[in-house]
Amino acid sequence: MRNTIRFTGVGGQGVLLAGEIMAACKIKEGGEGLKTATYTSQVRGGATVVDITLDDGTIRYPYANEGEIDFMLSVANVSFHQFKNGVKPGGTIVVDPNLVQPTDEDRKKWVIHEIPIITIAKEEVGNVITQSVVALGITNTMTGVLPRQSLIDTMLSKVPAKVHAANIKAYDLGEKYAKEAMAK
Amino acid sequence: MAREVIGNGNELAAEAAIDAGAMFFSGYPITPSSEVMHVASDLLPEIGGKFIQMEDEIAGIAAALGASMTGVKSFTATSGPGISLKAEQIGLGFIAEVPLVIINVMRGGPSTGLPTRVSQADIGQAQYPTHGDYASITLCAGSLSECYTETVRGFNLAEKYMTPVFVLLDETIGHMHGKAILPDLEEVKASIVNRATFEGPIDEYKPYKVPMNKPAVINKMFQGYRHHVTGLHHGDEGFPTEDAVQCEFNIERLVGKINTVAKENDGLDDLPDYEEYMLEDAEVCLIAYGSIGLGAYEAVQKLRAEGIKAGMFRPIMLWPSPAKRIAEIGAKFKDKIFITELNMGQYTKEIERIIKRDDFTTLFKANGRPIAPAEMVAKVKEMM
Repeated sequence: MRNTIRFTGVGGQGVLLAGEIMAACKIKEGGEGLKTATYTSQVRGGATVVDITLDDGTIRYPYANEGEIDFMLSVANVSFHQFKNGVKPGGTIVVDPNLVQPTDEDRKKWVIHEIPIITIAKEEVGNVITQSVVALGITNTMTGVLPRQSLIDTMLSKVPAKVHAANIKAYDLGEKYAKEAMAK
Repeated sequence: MAREVIGNGNELAAEAAIDAGAMFFSGYPITPSSEVMHVASDLLPEIGGKFIQMEDEIAGIAAALGASMTGVKSFTATSGPGISLKAEQIGLGFIAEVPLVIINVMRGGPSTGLPTRVSQADIGQAQYPTHGDYASITLCAGSLSECYTETVRGFNLAEKYMTPVFVLLDETIGHMHGKAILPDLEEVKASIVNRATFEGPIDEYKPYKVPMNKPAVINKMFQGYRHHVTGLHHGDEGFPTEDAVQCEFNIERLVGKINTVAKENDGLDDLPDYEEYMLEDAEVCLIAYGSIGLGAYEAVQKLRAEGIKAGMFRPIMLWPSPAKRIAEIGAKFKDKIFITELNMGQYTKEIERIIKRDDFTTLFKANGRPIAPAEMVAKVKEMM
């Protein structure tokens, strides 16, 4: 069973770390996980795409095959439109509605949920850097690809102890908003 | 016991260098190779080694060459534009016979090109990185595990043949992050090759007085054995000469110690120079290397699922090329050979040279994007 997940944003938003956490968790669970990132030579602000491939068996080619992606999360309009076509028809896309404007066509082709990821991180968690962990909570809640506690433990192993509480809160909020979005 | 680790290719290459005995790194950061340098800066001071971020690419290799001349295993890392800048110093490494591992994480070129994007366009550069006659050793990692194992191998070959060795990664392999299985650390330590030393009396020490096709025997510095190091043609003790017989011997030996030895022994060591995947009963042969090999595995699987008997040949030691096996593949598959690489056909030229035909199906890309398995599948189907 293979799952492919794509995070898109702009350079500097921290989407790379979220991808590494998912890959590491899958490996810890006995499978394989690979993360690749494609970014531009701009230091900040360039369109960034992170592909995460999770499989119980061997993974060789590290990029998502275009048109086969199960789930995408996007926090930048330029990246959303540049990389959305990798998602298979009927696949799920989560966007931050303050930053990404899908077209009516997009809404027909994919299941699009709107969750204000950056605002949640900034105002409810109190630290904008935790947006990648909010995204992690949303992604795993919607896809169910990884065991919840194992993913949280992996995440905590990669962030400093002094921000553990904030990141647990970020994950829980991501989970809560994802459940609410799916219930709509 | 084999070790399971998580990391990216650049990090694994740097860790391999330390495990292979490197105690010195100097370089200058450049995308997409910088993580090699980051890890070296973390690990070398911990083991009493030295790490220096130099003022530019040229100084980056000059210091590493100098360190190696004293007898310390050294390495540097860069990307294509850095190799261009280092070219003159690489030549000094060849003629003075200085072991050095140069990790090149390939990005799009020429010039500054596409800094963050993948390419395999430095294959030709690795064969002839600088002016003059010499033979290059070039290894190309095709998986995360090989970023580690081929770097270890690079150090061993550099010491055995007294020459700079290229370890080529590409942006995809260097930056992809996942699981790698590494050999047991004790096995790695047991495989380490150290340069030969002259044990005789000091006044008989003549490091370059070696037979045809043999590398120089250069002792560590500061132990009483003295020789001269120069980029000029030199005689037995390293002092400059223009003697016609000596100069001819020098060049024949520099080329022969690698190319002739590889031809006579079917390689430069006992490790695999290539990998074959489902090739035995195949009717069509995909040839790919580096990260493009990763897509080729999946292309072979997809083609087999559709009833097309495909297999893959993946060279690991690019220079000197595994010519004997490539010739056998040419004889077996005839025109049913599909070559794909992330440049305009730099290694295809070598395959054409060996097989002596030029009607292969090819898929080249030089726009900084990878080649997807689906693209390879479509091309192979056109052949069948």
